[in-house]
Amino acid sequence: MNHFSNRAITGITKVGDIYCPKNGEFPAFSEAAGTQYLNNLVSNVPEDDFSSLNLVLIIFSFLPAFILKWLIGVFERSMDNPGDSILPSLLRQLNLGLRGLCYSVYYSEFSNPEYKGRTPLQIIDYHLNRVELEPVKSEATFV
Amino acid sequence: MVYDFIVVGSGSGGGSLAYYLNKSGAKVLLLEAGKFYRKNTFPRTEAETSADLYWGGGIEFAKDGKMGFLRTKMVGGSSIVYQCLMDRFDDNAFDAWKDESGVDWFSNATMNEHYNQVESDMALHTFTEKEWNRNAKLFIDGCDKNGYKWANLRRGQSDCALENGNDCIGCLGGCIRDSKQSSLVAFIQKAEKEGLEIQADTEIHKVEPGNETCKIHGMQNGNKVSYEAKKVILSGGAFGTTRMMYMSGFKKKLPALGKKFSSHPQFMWIGFQNEPVDAHKLAFQTVASKDPEFRKKGFKLENVFAPPISLAMLINITGSKHQDYMKKYRYMQCIEVAVRDENVGEIISDKNGKLTISKPLTDQDKERKTNGLQAIKNILLSSGANEVFESNFYFGLHLMGGCVMGTDPSKSVVNPEFNVHGEKTLYITDSSIYPNAPGINPGLTIKALSHKLSTQLIKG
Repeated sequence: MNHFSNRAITGITKVGDIYCPKNGEFPAFSEAAGTQYLNNLVSNVPEDDFSSLNLVLIIFSFLPAFILKWLIGVFERSMDNPGDSILPSLLRQLNLGLRGLCYSVYYSEFSNPEYKGRTPLQIIDYHLNRVELEPVKSEATFV
Repeated sequence: MVYDFIVVGSGSGGGSLAYYLNKSGAKVLLLEAGKFYRKNTFPRTEAETSADLYWGGGIEFAKDGKMGFLRTKMVGGSSIVYQCLMDRFDDNAFDAWKDESGVDWFSNATMNEHYNQVESDMALHTFTEKEWNRNAKLFIDGCDKNGYKWANLRRGQSDCALENGNDCIGCLGGCIRDSKQSSLVAFIQKAEKEGLEIQADTEIHKVEPGNETCKIHGMQNGNKVSYEAKKVILSGGAFGTTRMMYMSGFKKKLPALGKKFSSHPQFMWIGFQNEPVDAHKLAFQTVASKDPEFRKKGFKLENVFAPPISLAMLINITGSKHQDYMKKYRYMQCIEVAVRDENVGEIISDKNGKLTISKPLTDQDKERKTNGLQAIKNILLSSGANEVFESNFYFGLHLMGGCVMGTDPSKSVVNPEFNVHGEKTLYITDSSIYPNAPGINPGLTIKALSHKLSTQLIKG
């Protein structure tokens, strides 16, 4: 069962604040994102990939923000690196993995229950109209 | 118990095959590695859709980390989350298959009766002007201004309640109305009512074909399970079927296993309009390019969009600039190019089933991509976009090859009768048998090929 350690959650929160900072109407990741839901979103991630990610996030939790910001810049630039060697390949995968995690609890219904302001989904004015055929069962959430 | 047929995998190929075999009165078992969701239990959020319905918890990557692959894990397979666009192959696609494989029945003349049968078992709908949302209208306007030909798409759907304001982008996580003609809706649920045995949460790791029967072994909810049938048909898709074949030790015998992987690499660019586009509202994908020049040049364009998390992934910058773009979500116009790529990719699995995917873009692929993206830019700008965001992220939804069909056992995995070379009791039908990329949505042909196999199996 994949489960982020508390230190890893600290790490993803620090990374999240770089991807999604406080910016005008937008709240900071650390304010609005429901990091408590992250464990629900990684159940299908292969165990060895998850262990590596958890370890990287633990290391991130100890790094100063300015170093993390520099590192994320390196990750982003790896996307334009034409090289196929191991390091840029790993950086690209890490970059996309981290962005996926952050955006999944920022631009989604999984916001921090203690956050009372407008959520990022409300700020971008995203709303879906679902015309259901029959009552939804409990497994399907956030109807 | 020895079944007549066991079908492993319940996507477009497996679901339809199980339906036709079950209808013939045979004793059929349909196995699926993922869970069994229904219209009222599909996740209702994008985050849960990615996490719960996809292998790898959302996305899998090529080993160079450049390309992402989306592959689902549930009863109905990828047909649950795809757009269910139902296109027949043209002669060009079948001729390319014939040239690559040596299989002489790859033709519309042979496949017509199978297309006809599969189409008659689904509700099909061709979109009309009244269903275009603004993203579609802008696409059409831009195509017209550039002299590009376009057409309304044909989709498998029965009642999407568009007139009541239903936003179909939500059905990328499974159709909540049983309208989309996924393998689940069009085939599996019907077969279920007629007695088809279905076991979900069952992942097969080993296949042991014999002369009279074929045995398979795997895990179901954490417990070891084994089954036996007179004939076993693998239908786990390009990655899933290739993985099962690797784990069963076929690589030594069949060196072509894992080879000739293609995936129609897709690139989405975004234009920003001054007025709201609301590309996520109502029917979000209704038209596509239908330009003979594009076909010759090896790409096609589609009017598409994505919900917020996926869209955020496309915008490959960070911080406040990223948020500033996201704030214009409702003003985004979006077009995608799908490249008809060369089949130089490879799927490799270790003995534990860990996959490594090699999918380099060849020079020809890059040229096709560049031409397609230029056409997108022309459309976006001529339809009024004040800025174009050129995303560098690309992905594959149409995963094809790995167990390709052919006449030569040194260059293919299954023979023209869908049999794994040299194995009388083991068959494959899914996109893994595709010899190369057709440049056309593969879903309908996967089903038609399954119907062809079903007629052969029923005859014995």
